[in-house]
Amino acid sequence: MDTLARIRQLAAKEFSINPDGLDPSAPLDTLGIDSLSFIEFMFKVEEEFGVNVSDEDLKAIKTLSDLERQVAAALSAAGKV
Amino acid sequence: MARVAVTGAGVISPLGESLAEFHRSLRAGRSAIRRLAPELTERTGVQVAAPLDWDPAAHFKESEAASLDRASQFALAAAGQAIADSGLKIEDDNRVRIGVSWGTGMGGAHTQEASYQQVYGAGEWRVRPLTVVMGMNNAPGSNVAVRHGLRGPFANFSTACSSSAMALGEAMRQIAAGRADAMIAGGCEALLTPGILVAWQALRTLAPADAADPAASCKPFDKRRAGLVLGEGAAAFVLEEESRARARGARIYALLTGYGNSCDAVHMSRPDRAGQVRAMQEALAEARLAPQDVGYINAHGTATAVGDRVEAEAINAVFGDAAREVRVSSTKSLHGHLLGGSGAIEFAATLLALEGVLPPTGFLDQPDPACALRHVARSAERVDPPRAVMSNSFAFGGSNVVLVAERP
Repeated sequence: MDTLARIRQLAAKEFSINPDGLDPSAPLDTLGIDSLSFIEFMFKVEEEFGVNVSDEDLKAIKTLSDLERQVAAALSAAGKV
Repeated sequence: MARVAVTGAGVISPLGESLAEFHRSLRAGRSAIRRLAPELTERTGVQVAAPLDWDPAAHFKESEAASLDRASQFALAAAGQAIADSGLKIEDDNRVRIGVSWGTGMGGAHTQEASYQQVYGAGEWRVRPLTVVMGMNNAPGSNVAVRHGLRGPFANFSTACSSSAMALGEAMRQIAAGRADAMIAGGCEALLTPGILVAWQALRTLAPADAADPAASCKPFDKRRAGLVLGEGAAAFVLEEESRARARGARIYALLTGYGNSCDAVHMSRPDRAGQVRAMQEALAEARLAPQDVGYINAHGTATAVGDRVEAEAINAVFGDAAREVRVSSTKSLHGHLLGGSGAIEFAATLLALEGVLPPTGFLDQPDPACALRHVARSAERVDPPRAVMSNSFAFGGSNVVLVAERP
C-alpha cells in the first residue's frame, strides 16, 4: 500500500470517516480535524511510519497530501525508501 | 432564596447503568463486589473491587472513545442520561444560564497511568499528545460542558471522597444565588488501575475478600468489618430553580434544601467527630429541619474500624433522641466506594429512600455496639416516604459534606 493510502486509512479510523470520502487536497479543518486532534493523529502517523516530523514541518501541513509529502520526505531522509 | 429541584438523574454504576437499574439492585440488596483477576491480586495485594463491565462502544464512536479517559466516558454517559431524563431543553437562549458542577478525586487516572507506564515501564519517552487533556482532573466535567454546550458557571471539585457531594451542594448555591437557572451536577471516578490499587493497598484500609462470599467483603457497621472496597462509576443530576422546573411541568424527584460543608482540620486521614457534627448541623439548619424530620441517612460508612464508629457517634450527637428513629445504611457495602463519585452515587440512593424504600447496609449481621444506630440491615426496608433524607460524605483531608433532600 502506498503512503497516501496508508495515511487515508489511518485518518479514516482516527476520525471515524469513510476513506473514500477523504479528499487529500481538502484543508484538514473542512474534514472536521481540528488542531488538537491533528496533533494526536500525527503521533499515530509517526508511530505507523517510524518517522519524526519536526514542529516546523508540522506547521506547513494543511492537507492530507501535505502530510503525505512530509512523511515521504522523512522516510527518504531516514533512508527507509 | 430560590429553592432547588432535582429534575433528572443518570447513573453509571457497578449496580447498573441507569437510575432505575441502580435502584432495582439496591432494593434487592445485590452486591457488585467481586474478586479481581488473580494476576492483579498477586501484584497489588488487592483482592476485591466493584468494577464496571463497561463497553465504550455502546456509548461512543471508536474515535470518540479513544480520546476520552474512562472517567470522562462515565461522566458523559451519566450526564447524558440525566439531561434526557429531565426533559430540559438546552438551547441558544438558555445555555449561558446552565452550568456544570462536577466532582472527581483523580480525574483521568487511566490516562495518567498509561503515560507513566510508557515512560517508566516501557522506557519510551514519547506519550500521546492527548495525555494532558484526557488526564487532567477537570476533563470529565469539561467534557460534559462541551458535549451539551453548557456555558454557565463551571466548577470542578476535588476533595477526595466528598468531591461530588460538594459539587451538588455548590451547584445548589449557584442556583440559589441566581447565578444559574440549572446546573448539571455530579461526579465520577475510574481509578481501578494497578498503580492506584497498589497505593490503596499500601494504606492498609482495603478489605480482603470474604472467604465464603467475595460479594460480602464490605461490611459497614459490622463487628467483622475489615475495610473499604473500591468501586468506579458516575452519577449526575439536573438541578433547577424550583419555580422554573414547575413552570415547565418537570417531574421533580426531590428538593435539595440543605448543604453542610466543614473541615476537620486535625488529620489527613483520621476522621473527627466534631467536624462531621458541624456539617450535619449546618445542612439541617439550612434546610430549616429538625433531626426528627429526617427519616433516612445514607452514611459515609466505609467499613473502616475508626470511620464507622466516629460517624455513628457524630450522628448520635446531632440527632440525640431522634437517632433512635432515623434509619441509617451504607450502600457502599453493595456498590463499593466510588471515592470522588461516592457523594453523587449515594445521593442517587437517597432518592430511592424518599420514595419509601430504604436501601440496606448489605451483609450487616453482627452490628458493632460501638456503632449504635437504627440500621437498615441486610435487606431494603419499606416505610412511609420520609419528609427528608440526608447523605454524608466524609473525605481524606478532613472535608465533610452533608446534603439534605426533601420530598417535593
